[in-house]
Amino acid sequence: MGDEKKSKSKIKNDIIFIAALLAAVCLIGIIYIATRAPGDTVIVKVDGKIFGEYPLDTDRTVEIRNGDRVNLLIIEGGEAYMAEASCPDGICVAHRPISRDGESIACKPNTVVVIVRATGEDSPDIIA
Amino acid sequence: MVKKIFSAIIAVFISAQCLCLFACGKTKTKYSEYSFDFFDTVTTVTGYAENKEEFEKVSELVLGELGEYHRLFDIYKRYDGMENLCTINELVGGAHRTVKADARIIDMLIYAKEMYEKTGGKVNVAMGSVLSIWHDYRSEGMNNPWEAELPPMDKLEKAAEHTDISALVIDKENGTVTITDPEVRLDVGAIAKGYAVEMVAQELEKQGISGYVLNVGGNVRTIGAKADGEPWTVGVENPQDDESVPYIAYLKLAGQSLVTSGSYQRYYIVDGKRYHHIIDPETLMPSEGFVSVSVLCKSSAMGDALSTALFCMDFESGFALIESIDEAEAMWVMPDGSIKRTEGFPG
Repeated sequence: MGDEKKSKSKIKNDIIFIAALLAAVCLIGIIYIATRAPGDTVIVKVDGKIFGEYPLDTDRTVEIRNGDRVNLLIIEGGEAYMAEASCPDGICVAHRPISRDGESIACKPNTVVVIVRATGEDSPDIIA
Repeated sequence: MVKKIFSAIIAVFISAQCLCLFACGKTKTKYSEYSFDFFDTVTTVTGYAENKEEFEKVSELVLGELGEYHRLFDIYKRYDGMENLCTINELVGGAHRTVKADARIIDMLIYAKEMYEKTGGKVNVAMGSVLSIWHDYRSEGMNNPWEAELPPMDKLEKAAEHTDISALVIDKENGTVTITDPEVRLDVGAIAKGYAVEMVAQELEKQGISGYVLNVGGNVRTIGAKADGEPWTVGVENPQDDESVPYIAYLKLAGQSLVTSGSYQRYYIVDGKRYHHIIDPETLMPSEGFVSVSVLCKSSAMGDALSTALFCMDFESGFALIESIDEAEAMWVMPDGSIKRTEGFPG
């Protein structure tokens, strides 16, 4: 009788410990998900305000329209570049494609800024 | 039995607490804010904070202060109810006025004179008459790329007759600035940006704020280390378009600054050739010695001035200048893509 009681309480203890273990695993999972680094993002700003944010790993064409001023941003193969622009100097179109954290293309006449944000392990915190 | 259950619950509770402490310490979140409003370039504020509100409080302070400096140091635009470099440059009845100026202008101009001495005249804020000619031709050339022209040398030489820095008279006691030669104009492009970044960074340090980086168009200033105590990793971008070597240097910074001046940053094209914005006071033409020059030192104000000066000097003189200054290091990217650096500049 006593032994049975003991083994019953042992099982109970085991259950509690397994539950505790599960709780700890869940907690770790929640913390991991909550703090996980998001993927690389292309941020587009017009007149200093966010126009849009796009994942760098999804190909797309973004028409950045501000009144009659237009920039055509293309995200392709993990890079972003300005394909067309209504600005007179065309410096943004001549800019090489950007893909690394902190890199930017600015179209001054159209007040458009395109910046890449990444949180990869080996990418530097800041680009100079 | 109850005791055991109780201790098990306590154990779970403590381990959860430990986990949270461990996790929370590591997971101050990284935030960034951008602006295109100051000094004709992109400003980035990056920092670690407990939450977005805490970060925004700091970034608003930074952007607000940078905006103040931008308006004070603006040579192209006047602002209501404010004396700035534009109004100091103005002629009234054929002469400059004696202007009662904000202490931030006075201090910056005093620093500019110090840097003139230190760099043997390579950083000269009294060169506005020459630089404004380049500015006009560059703007015109960017707006009408097919009609882009170089400024005629005789025009530049005539303007260069009025670039004597002693015409800039600063009365610190009374807080006034006077330009004694009506043909002399101030242009603080070589120094204002870095100076403003340094002042804002020092203000954050005074307020006990840490774990932030300001980057205003290549003027990088770190305020403390990252949230986990590690220094910031700053990658110096390869000016050559080479995907296999994205960065030519990685620096670990905590509290210092890194400033890069490059010929690829601001330029216009005449007959297929690029002409950038860093004008050598001696030749009155864009300096062609290097692709870029980076300076590592404590103060972003000094870094900005030195990187401009080095850009306009030959390598040997520049190297000697950096060696003569404590705690300043430099890296040069030569036209053939090769890299030279002082001993203390990390590779």
